[in-house]
Amino acid sequence: MSPEELTPPEDEEDKRLMSLVASGDDEALRLLVHRHHPRLVGYLRSEVGSQATAEELAMEVFIRLHRAASRWRPEAKLTTYLIHIAHNLVLNEWRRRGRKPTSALDSTPEPGDQRHDSARRVTELDEAFRKAVDLLPPEQKTAILLLVQQEMPYEEIAVAMDAPVSSVKTWIHRARTRLRELLKDYYGPA
Amino acid sequence: MNQPAGHDFDQDLARALAQDRAVPVPGFAARAVLAIQADRRRRTVLRWGSALTTAAACFLAVFVLQGGPDDALAQRARALAASDESAQLSDILGFADELSVLTPVIDRHSVVDVLINPDL
Repeated sequence: MSPEELTPPEDEEDKRLMSLVASGDDEALRLLVHRHHPRLVGYLRSEVGSQATAEELAMEVFIRLHRAASRWRPEAKLTTYLIHIAHNLVLNEWRRRGRKPTSALDSTPEPGDQRHDSARRVTELDEAFRKAVDLLPPEQKTAILLLVQQEMPYEEIAVAMDAPVSSVKTWIHRARTRLRELLKDYYGPA
Repeated sequence: MNQPAGHDFDQDLARALAQDRAVPVPGFAARAVLAIQADRRRRTVLRWGSALTTAAACFLAVFVLQGGPDDALAQRARALAASDESAQLSDILGFADELSVLTPVIDRHSVVDVLINPDL
């Protein structure tokens, strides 16, 4: 079976839409944005902690994608390319703000209260995880988000973050270790 | 330690982060297309503006460099130069300056010594 035959149909559709976008087809552009914006906004919201900023950055990602449409070559998946642009915009956003934005976390996540029901404990645990992820250093946070949330393989994360695969593996290992430390009240020491 | 029953770390991490895996925004695609169209128009205007400026500069350069000599203007310029005494003086002084530059440096005292003592 040739590599072309192994390409998932959604990638083929992306290639088709991108070639139409490059030739000025605005309907193809709308379809492409409609197709990819949910994951992009989700990733960006996790990174910057604000829905409004995430939407602004996602808009900028698609503007940049459109500018580069005629030069785009399908060497990597379009989703990887979009995340790559988004990651660079996140880095710019952090530089602009002068620090890494984090959502408010004033204390170590508290373990679930035994009096609460199971659903509430799960909600608390999820919140504790998200707050703990916000405390990670930028590279570790991005790498763990792309691996766990966006389900990207190491190689694609490396392309998106413009870093060697070995660095990505290191960041993810450190992120897991740090998260276990932050959540030791729930899971015990790493 | 309060380990939630039936949970493991990786599974809980995946569930917590998966909630933001995809966040559809109603009307986002339409807004994005409008923003992209505006960006396209802005870049077109900039590109044409830049091209027109370059073309104007090229046209001006060609006009200046390839324009034929204007005899009447040249004659007037020559007449003015001829009647300008300061320019003539400047020419002479300029010539003198060039001579002084070309003249080798001479020790004035040694010349006087030779004139006073022809035996030297």
